[in-house]
Amino acid sequence: MDNIFEINDKIIESTIEIFTGMVMMEISVAGDPLTTLGPLENSITGMVGLAGVHKGVLAVHFPKQVALDVTGSFLGMEVDDINADVQDAIGEIANMLGGNLKTILSDRGKDIMLSLPSTISGDQYSFTSQAEVDQVILPFQTPSGIFYVEVELER
Amino acid sequence: MAKNVLLVDDSSTMRKIVSRSLRQAGLDFGEIYEAGDGLEALAMLEKESIDIVLSDINMPNMNGIEFLREKANRPAIKDIPVFMISTETGDDIIGEAKSLGAIGALKKPFTPDKVNEVLGPIM
Repeated sequence: MDNIFEINDKIIESTIEIFTGMVMMEISVAGDPLTTLGPLENSITGMVGLAGVHKGVLAVHFPKQVALDVTGSFLGMEVDDINADVQDAIGEIANMLGGNLKTILSDRGKDIMLSLPSTISGDQYSFTSQAEVDQVILPFQTPSGIFYVEVELER
Repeated sequence: MAKNVLLVDDSSTMRKIVSRSLRQAGLDFGEIYEAGDGLEALAMLEKESIDIVLSDINMPNMNGIEFLREKANRPAIKDIPVFMISTETGDDIIGEAKSLGAIGALKKPFTPDKVNEVLGPIM
């Protein structure tokens, strides 16, 4: 992989597959990829880290209402606040996307290690990397708003 | 006879989704038990009458590969079949799981149709 943008199409395909097949929600690409994202407000982020021949992070950023609707559709139940179910569901979406990213970057599997998923949420926070990274942020449209899939890979 | 299934995944969401997919796939199964990691799964296997295990790989405390290795050393449970359901589908990792006794693997994400296609023959 010479350029992080080469994997955009595969990440888009993978995200749509996860939402259509498992979350049971139709989504679409919401414009061109971004290279930066401002502070996240009233949101939840799920993320997994990659280590090994490729180091970096995959994160999914959901505004609160989108996260609630996604979790409700995923689990087939009403969800009215960020709780353990929402954290687990958003973490699992990040986990599946991270697994697919790992497969995109290496089809063997043992030269890249995937961390367990984690989540952060809050009224306002920023998601930035300390390292020199190539970064891409892909926006997706759901019925209740836009969410972002972000990939950062160390140069 | 309907088989009792043990779902092993640290994500409660994924345990619910797999359970729902088994029902939607129309597969004939008995009780569904749940465990959050390999350690809990070993304890459950020694306590309950379980016919097949569907296990994630990437889990805290004891992951799916360590679970297979430990299970193989316990005569009372070593022959219970384990099927991997994971985002981890690299050839090296699935090869290692199969060398430790896993009978197959299903990649996340999956659909009920895929669950039926892959798990139907062994259920």
